[in-house]
Parts: sequence; C-alpha cells; structure tokens
Amino acid sequence: MKAGNGILKGELKVKGGKLVKCSLSVKNGAIEHIKFTGDFFMYPEEKIEELEKMLEGVECTEEDIKERIAPFFDSVELMGASMEDFIAVVSMAIAALNKS
Amino acid sequence: MEKWRLLIHGARDAFTNMAIDEALLISGKPTIRFYKWKPSAISIGYFQGIEEEVNLAECKKHGVDVVRRISGGGAVFHDEKGEITYSLIAPEEMLPENVLESCDKICSSIAHGLGYLGVNAKFAPLNDIVAGGKKISGSAQTRRYGNVLQHGTILLDLNAELMFSLLNVSAKKIEDKGIDKASKRVTCLREEVGEVTEEKLIKALVRGFEDGFGMKLAEGRMDGTETSRIDKLREKYESREWNFKR
Repeated sequence: MKAGNGILKGELKVKGGKLVKCSLSVKNGAIEHIKFTGDFFMYPEEKIEELEKMLEGVECTEEDIKERIAPFFDSVELMGASMEDFIAVVSMAIAALNKS
Repeated sequence: MEKWRLLIHGARDAFTNMAIDEALLISGKPTIRFYKWKPSAISIGYFQGIEEEVNLAECKKHGVDVVRRISGGGAVFHDEKGEITYSLIAPEEMLPENVLESCDKICSSIAHGLGYLGVNAKFAPLNDIVAGGKKISGSAQTRRYGNVLQHGTILLDLNAELMFSLLNVSAKKIEDKGIDKASKRVTCLREEVGEVTEEKLIKALVRGFEDGFGMKLAEGRMDGTETSRIDKLREKYESREWNFKR
C-alpha cells in the first residue's frame, strides 16, 4: 500500500455479540469515503449516512476522528454498540495505514 | 379491554412483506401481524453489508430472495417451510420509551406464548428469545413516524445446513462462543417440542401477546390507506439501490 492511500477495513466484536465494521478509503492521509456496517441498532437509522459524510476529509488520526464524531452521538440512540466502539473500529482500520 | 388488530397474512414475497410492515408502521394502528415468506428469503439489517452477510450466488441457486429491512440487527433466513414472522406495530406511547425495555416486553410476551406450547423460552437481550440456551427467535425494532415496528422470526423447523450456506457467518461473531458451529446455537420448535402447526403456533402467540399487553386481538384487514402505500414501498424494497446501499 502506498503511504497515505488505500482501502482499509476494521472489524470489532462488541461484548454481547454485535459486530461493528468499517471500510474506508484514504486519500493523502485523510478519509475519502467511509462506510459502517454491522448488526447493531441505531435510531434513527438514516443518521448513519450523516456520520459517514461527516468523516469525509478528516485526517486519519484517532484524535481528529474522535473530535469530529463525538457530537454526532448525542443525536442518536445506540443499542448493541457504543460511540467508543465506532471510534475503536476506525482506529483499528487506520492503524494498518500508519504501519505501512 | 384495549383492542388490537390481528392480521394473519399467509405467504408473500420478501419485498411485499417489508412493504406491508412499513405501510403498517406509517399508519401506526396497534396491530399484530403474522406472515410467511414465499419464496424463502434472507432479510438483512439496515446497517449490514449485503455482500458481507449473504452468499448471493448460493441464494440465486436456491431461488432465495434477499431484502434489506428498515430495522437494524442481523441477517435472518426466512425459510418458506420453517418459520413464522410476526410484526408488532403501535404508537410509541403505547410501549416503554426505552427501546430495550419495549423489546423485552414484546419478546417476553412471545416467550410466554411459546410456554403454551410447552417451550420454556425467555427473552435474551438484546433482541433474541432462547429456549434451553439456544436461539429460537430473533427480532428487530425501528421507530418512525411516532410509531414502533418490531418484527421477528420464530423458528418452527431448521435447515441449518441450508441456512448457513446462504449466510456468511463472520468468524469474529462466533470466536468467543467456544463452539465451532454457529448452528449449535440455534434451535426450533420441532427440536424443542416436536411438530407444531402454524395455526397452533399463531394461536399460542396470540394468547402470549394478549396476556403480555393486557389487550384483546380481533382479526381484521388492512385499511385502504395502508393498502394504497404498498406498491410504492414494494418498489423501494425490490430496488438494487436500496438493497445494495451497504
């Protein structure tokens, strides 16, 4: 993988059995597109698309990602996963980037 | 005593079934619906990746439809011959405000209903019902338009081999369960208490809901407004845009 570019994936099994996964593309060290998938519950459901849009262009560091998405989680109700799980799964994906 | 509507719908295709559930959710009339899927189908949760979860080639081979739900949660195999699906629709104020508590109330009513068949079942948070430690039913809830829709499957029979050939069960999902086969975690009414007819199951579940909610179910029909919404909603559920959005 070229430094700062590529498709990255993260997968996390939450305690209790639910899965949170993410797949993201990186361009010049920032998130280009990101998709979260899994069998968790989020209300309202369509908000997930907002979260994904919100992360576009964010630098691939855990701090930047955390800062950007934290306020989002005040606007949704989660079941089977937490905000920390979402942050962890993105961190897991970008860890591969930072290693390359 | 409060009266709820009972809809006993028989078998329809996946896209029509999901369209009807959404049409009922929009209207919000307190309703319990029972239905089946023909052809057999897989429904995936709102957030799931269709290609991650489903072996699409295998589904095609077996003539199994795949549809994305408006509710979260996991993938379910709706075997034409082996399950009954229920849906419960009601205004939000008629159920506990907390999603998990409302799921508990609905699933505990179902578990109580299964008790009439001799099954010792109970709610297993977040969204399952278990009998003898194995899953016999899974549910998913969504809330829109000020109303609640919870739908779920109750297994009459289980073709585990077919089910797990159609679903891509993640290795991560089962890694800490201490067993190598996901199929060992699932059971059905046939395994628990022998052959149960659909009619008998529906009767038991009706009693379960009536006891659990302190209401009376009266068989009814969809109204004109609900019926008029089905075609348009069905188009969405059949579309590639909807089903492949994740």
